[in-house]
Amino acid sequence: MEDDRRVGDLVRELVHRLHNNSSSSLSNSKPNPSNVKYATRILSSRMTPSIAADEAAMAYSIKSQLVKQGKLSDALSFADLYSKFASKNGPGSVNNKWAVLYLLKVISEDRKSNLKLQSDSSFSGGLPTLFEPETNGNLARVTKDSSGFSRLGKNLDDDGNDAAVSNDNVNGLRHSNSTKFNNGGVLLVSKDPENLRDIAYREFAVIVKEENDVSEEVLVRDVLYACQGIDGKYVKFNETIDGYALLDSIRVPKPTKIMIRKLCELGWLFKKVKGYISESMYKFQDEDVGTVAQAFCAALQDELSEYYKLLAVLQSQSMNPIPLVSDNATSGNYLSLRRLSVWFAEPMVKMRLMAVLVDSCKALKGGAMAGAIHMHAQHGDPLLHGFMKRLLRRVCSPLFEMVRSWVLEGELEDIFSEFFVLGQSVKAESLWREGYKLHPAMLPSFISQSLARRILRTGKSINFLRVCCEDRTWADAATQAAAATGTTTRRGGLGYGETDALESLVTEAAKRIDKHLMDVVYNRYRFKEHCLAIKRYLLLGQGDFVQYLMDIVGPELSEPANTISSFKLSGLLESAIRSSNAQYDDPDVLDRLRVKMMPHSSGDRGWDVFSLDYDARIPLNTVFTGSIMAKYLRIFNFLWKLRRVEHALIGAWKTMKPNLITSHFFTKLPKAVKFRLILTSRRCQVLWNEMNHFLTNLQYYIMFEVLEVSWANFSDEMEAAKDLDDLLAAHDKYLHSIVEKSLLGERSKDLYKTLFMLFDLILRFRSHADRLYEGIYEFQARTMEDKKMEGVKHSRSKKNMDSDSWESEGRKAITQRAGDFLKNTGQDIDGVSKEYSSLFKGFLSQLPVQQHIDLKFLMFRLDFTEFYGSAS
Amino acid sequence: MPREIINLQVGQCGNQIGMEFWKQLCLEHGISKDGILEEYATQGGAGDRKDVFFYQADDQHYIPRALLVDLEPRVINGIQSGEYRDLYNHENIFISQEGAGAGNNWASGYEQGKHFEEDLMDMIDREADGSDSLEGFVLCHSIAGGTGSGMGSYILETLNDHYSKKLIQTYSVFPNQNETSDVVVQPYNSLLTLKRLTLNADCVVVIDNTALNRIAVERLHIQNPTVSETNSLVSTVMAASTTTLRYPGYMNNDLVGLLASLIPTPRCHFLMAGYTPLTVERQANMIRKTTVLDVMRRLLQTKNLMVTCNARTKQASQAKYISILNIIQGEVDPTKVHESLQRIRERKLVNFIEWGPASIQVALSRKSPYVRTAHRVSGLMLASYTGIRHLFSKCLSQYSLLRKRQAFLDKYKSFPMFADNDLSEFDESKDILDSLVDEYKACESPDYIKWGMEDPHNLLTDEGTDIGSIDPTYQYQ
Repeated sequence: MEDDRRVGDLVRELVHRLHNNSSSSLSNSKPNPSNVKYATRILSSRMTPSIAADEAAMAYSIKSQLVKQGKLSDALSFADLYSKFASKNGPGSVNNKWAVLYLLKVISEDRKSNLKLQSDSSFSGGLPTLFEPETNGNLARVTKDSSGFSRLGKNLDDDGNDAAVSNDNVNGLRHSNSTKFNNGGVLLVSKDPENLRDIAYREFAVIVKEENDVSEEVLVRDVLYACQGIDGKYVKFNETIDGYALLDSIRVPKPTKIMIRKLCELGWLFKKVKGYISESMYKFQDEDVGTVAQAFCAALQDELSEYYKLLAVLQSQSMNPIPLVSDNATSGNYLSLRRLSVWFAEPMVKMRLMAVLVDSCKALKGGAMAGAIHMHAQHGDPLLHGFMKRLLRRVCSPLFEMVRSWVLEGELEDIFSEFFVLGQSVKAESLWREGYKLHPAMLPSFISQSLARRILRTGKSINFLRVCCEDRTWADAATQAAAATGTTTRRGGLGYGETDALESLVTEAAKRIDKHLMDVVYNRYRFKEHCLAIKRYLLLGQGDFVQYLMDIVGPELSEPANTISSFKLSGLLESAIRSSNAQYDDPDVLDRLRVKMMPHSSGDRGWDVFSLDYDARIPLNTVFTGSIMAKYLRIFNFLWKLRRVEHALIGAWKTMKPNLITSHFFTKLPKAVKFRLILTSRRCQVLWNEMNHFLTNLQYYIMFEVLEVSWANFSDEMEAAKDLDDLLAAHDKYLHSIVEKSLLGERSKDLYKTLFMLFDLILRFRSHADRLYEGIYEFQARTMEDKKMEGVKHSRSKKNMDSDSWESEGRKAITQRAGDFLKNTGQDIDGVSKEYSSLFKGFLSQLPVQQHIDLKFLMFRLDFTEFYGSAS
Repeated sequence: MPREIINLQVGQCGNQIGMEFWKQLCLEHGISKDGILEEYATQGGAGDRKDVFFYQADDQHYIPRALLVDLEPRVINGIQSGEYRDLYNHENIFISQEGAGAGNNWASGYEQGKHFEEDLMDMIDREADGSDSLEGFVLCHSIAGGTGSGMGSYILETLNDHYSKKLIQTYSVFPNQNETSDVVVQPYNSLLTLKRLTLNADCVVVIDNTALNRIAVERLHIQNPTVSETNSLVSTVMAASTTTLRYPGYMNNDLVGLLASLIPTPRCHFLMAGYTPLTVERQANMIRKTTVLDVMRRLLQTKNLMVTCNARTKQASQAKYISILNIIQGEVDPTKVHESLQRIRERKLVNFIEWGPASIQVALSRKSPYVRTAHRVSGLMLASYTGIRHLFSKCLSQYSLLRKRQAFLDKYKSFPMFADNDLSEFDESKDILDSLVDEYKACESPDYIKWGMEDPHNLLTDEGTDIGSIDPTYQYQ
């Protein structure tokens, strides 16, 4: 507000002074309101000179004018002053330096010569006309008095006053003008009755011609050539400066030169863009140029054709001669360099952008290219934004087409490997896991990672269905998906900027395809049934089957591994199936069950190498891959060993089962032997009980806390699984939990080792126990024989005779041997017992250290009665 | 190769129990009264094994692996004219031609067993030959009467000779001690049978009629329970104890595995059974809350046990469990089992032996899809319990009473075993039963492992000392 008032006051004062000085006699120092009004109007109008606001050019023109007039020293001091002026920045300094210079120049030119008295309107947009008549006398002063100029530079207000003060020459024209002012304040460029202006213009043209070797028309044409990438007569491509430039030999004013160079930047940019296009076009035939790059080229080409149109128009205009300033009213369709710069403003921006894009995309292709272009699309300028959008639509269309056909048809039409999904030719079983993957470099940034993964999975599902499941019905699901999103399965339905549409298409397609895939996997390939079958056979869930298998392959497996025929074992497997409830299982399931012999080293027994395998077949072998099956085999081997040990222990019980010792046979033995017998066998039984307790509880833990619980979790997750990845993850989790909890994991290695030592010890115990009881039975049989012999000899009534009476040499020897035997075996068993209790103690002490919470269950079971004192 | 089990039902009681047992098995496997698979059972999917207890004749009939033996025709005739008459193989039925029975005399039954040994063994051998991998025999009998006890004893001895590698399990019904029996010589019969059960059987499931009656009256609120009502309780237990064999799962799929864990000390092979929730047919609508914990806790309550140990409190409190197996049927969440075990341990509901590790084994088993029960979960407990010795003590004291009076011995003396006034068989039986009671008692002590080693000094002076001295804390160094 204050500024406005100040400006108003200043203007009023200015007008007042001007009037005062010029016509002090006429009016009484009272500012004419209409004059003030007029001045204000001029000042507030948007009239600007039609020349580019180039400060340096202006300074240069003043300087050159001074030089031309032979005032070298003035020119130098001007340059000096100007540099001071130009460097003056900050508060209090003049902002619009160019305008000040321009004002001074106009003023000085006004006064330059009487001949050119009125010629200055050629530079004017109107403002100078106000001073035109009055400044005639001022010029000399200004030009002469450089100190005044410097003052001018310092203070615009003073300067204006000075100028006004010194304005003492009034010619007649002023009157007419002033009357015109009074007539309504409209500026009229009046025809010069004396043709003074025309003359001035012609003079000017001559000067211009003198200054320039070539005419502006020629230069404009050359610039136009250059902008089409063609060398003109004077404007040629200069390798050293890497750009178009006027030949050095041509003498033109520096501003013109600079202007030309500036304009020719377009040519340089064009050359770059064009070069890229033609280079790519050339390579179209060969290969190597992806569809995205082709689209990019085409889009660029289209933009260029717009540019060509513009150039054609300009070229036609350039044929029109540049009129003299005086003709300006008659013809507008000519091209000067300045006009060109206006014309070029927009193409320049676009071309610059294109060049930048070309630069940044040159080495890229496919999704990476689209992504790189997308990086430039985030632009606030609506012009550029629109342009980029147009461009990206074109560029992305092949990419989106790939997405569409991938998601809906599973086709990977990507000969140039531009797509962010990468296909590899792999075996069918690893198609899902390894067949396709994301190519992060090719993933444009406008597609999010999660969306990309979904896209990947959807197409993968289709391919999985097609290749592994030999399924044809997925197409329905795809069609439905397309219908649901309202996008037809036609090509080209999607474009850049419709990421939402893309996302919803992908979501719909993924939903349906995944559901279809899950249906196929669950229903047609009966995933769950096979999982159950694996649980039944490989995880020993089918107890009766396992038992018979153990019974019949047991003797075979005790042989050295290299003598075992897997063919024979397969036969035994068959018969185990036939004689157990497994026979009622699906033949398809049973067909997949087979014997697998693991590689064996010397000294291995059959037990070490035998295992069962389950051939999941395509497509389920995607879930049950080699490594997964290897894990199953590890679990099988563990469970099988556990079963084997249990089997052995039960076998030991069978040899000592209750009705085998007719306990009264030893009542008649010598007490020492009798006691030793009782003691040894009881020790054996108690140790057996301890081992059996351990094994049954371990088994219980494995079967129910581990297998069943893991299975229950897996079943739940299987229900919830939405796609194959979920299912795979759930299955991995299931397997992992079994491995971890059954001590097969990395962390429980030590425990596992102890466990196996315990197992081996139990097996050793079995052989000792067997030996002990065989000995006892032999002993028993001998004694009974003796008894029977006696029974024959003596009458029945003497059956209960005293033990002393049936003593004989033979009997004594037998008793002696029995005593020794019992002693030895007893020592063996005691050794086993000691080793067992120390190992077992170690095992128990390691248990709480384990990470798995479930092992606490095991601990709890193993020491239910706190026999081992763990609770303390 | 099913691990076949041959069922021998001997005597009146044995056949009655057996009949109920087969009825129950037929129901559970969907086998009709004449041995044909019911329409609804032909689809399979039940996951059951019928071939453990049945075999299929050429015409697809399922035939029980059962031998029906009796010395009098009444019960078996009843079966043969009953609705299950076509189920059994008629070649497997043995009725003595005389049909006079054993007159509740053990000696008579034993002698007749010897007399008919060839016939009986022919039948048993034929049946055993018909199976691929015979697991063992199950004998159903009572120990009080004549046929079941006497003939049963003889069969046990014979089986032990002929099939020593096979398991022999018995379901032995002990007489009701609360009512005066019409069989006055019951204590004699029981004692003589118990000797065979101790020596010649691998596992004896004790069915105590006293307890059965008590359960019928107290738990089922039947004032005067009939024989068939109490028998249905027995058949329930028998069927439940074989579920893991008939519905194979992870564990306990064979009889030997089942019994081995239960019987760590061979002589203590007398098991008692408990079952919950108990119902008889007309009360099937009585529903009780059945969670795993409920079931497992109730199984530990003495009132649900099918054995009455008439022990005084002090003695009873010393009784310890050697082993426990709970067979839980129905839909059970495995994780609940662990919780229940924890509760049981926290509340110290069980006393286990102290000379070795012990715990409650749990076997989860499927339920027959063909039998509707009102309960989600049902449970059977088989346990080896030292308190059972009081039952034997009672038998012993009853015997002693009778023996002191020399009552009714004439009946026995007419048979070869007791001829010439030779009653040593009685004495020997008493000795064996005494030592059995002692062994059980020893199991209650933490020093079981040293039991029987007393009097080391005598050992040193004994003639066999050259083998070396042995003391109770004997260690092989």
